[in-house]
Amino acid sequence: MAEFTLDCLGEACPVPLMKTEKKLNELTVGDVLIISIDHSCAMKNVPEWARKQGHNVEIEEVDDGEWEIVIEKTK
Amino acid sequence: MKQFFIRLGENPIYKKLLKEPLTYIAGAVLLAVFQIAHFSSLGSGWGVTSTFANWGAWIFEALGGDVSNWVYFSGEKAQKALESSFLADGGSIRNLGIIVGALAATLFASQFKFKKLKSLRQAVAAILGGLLMGYGARMAGGCNIGALFTGISSFSLSGWIFGAFLLAGAFIGSKLLAKYFM
Repeated sequence: MAEFTLDCLGEACPVPLMKTEKKLNELTVGDVLIISIDHSCAMKNVPEWARKQGHNVEIEEVDDGEWEIVIEKTK
Repeated sequence: MKQFFIRLGENPIYKKLLKEPLTYIAGAVLLAVFQIAHFSSLGSGWGVTSTFANWGAWIFEALGGDVSNWVYFSGEKAQKALESSFLADGGSIRNLGIIVGALAATLFASQFKFKKLKSLRQAVAAILGGLLMGYGARMAGGCNIGALFTGISSFSLSGWIFGAFLLAGAFIGSKLLAKYFM
């Protein structure tokens, strides 16, 4: 049940999604990954991909144009 | 005043319209409607990158260059565009509208942010990608708007062929991105 962070600030699509996919592969079930993004299109495609994989996803707007996507790996 | 804006930001209608992204379907329908409006009022389909070539030529000529002998600008249409000016050129205004509209949308959503450059590598990737896209768009006679979207919506086979190669290019491009820039 460890918590990991992934800094994708300043990165445009599709880099945040590719990095998330790679990082999530390294985690074990129950781990939580927090991704920092400031690219609005990643705010759409990263959660969409993660939900499709069946993970629990939450999005938090932390500042103007800045979000944290929280993904709990479920399988 | 501040209270008002905080309350406005929490208003569900405001959130739905200006803050949350449109669904893909809503975006597609709007694009189709505007494409039809563009075609019926101006007699030509929507394009973006041809205008960039004119901007480049104007800058080059302002610096003392001469493009009048270039094959690309030898056609009648290209000559006319060259003789026109930024404010008189519909394509320039349309592209300016995209930029201003995008800025307005991000401000309305209160999502404006200056993004930091992460590394030199990222800057190189962005410049390289931009140059390749611009060069490719001119070689293909259009970008994903002029050649793909307008092409397909006017029942042109070339749009579908462009689309096939666009997918191939995107596939190779993302493999290269993963290999060298991540």
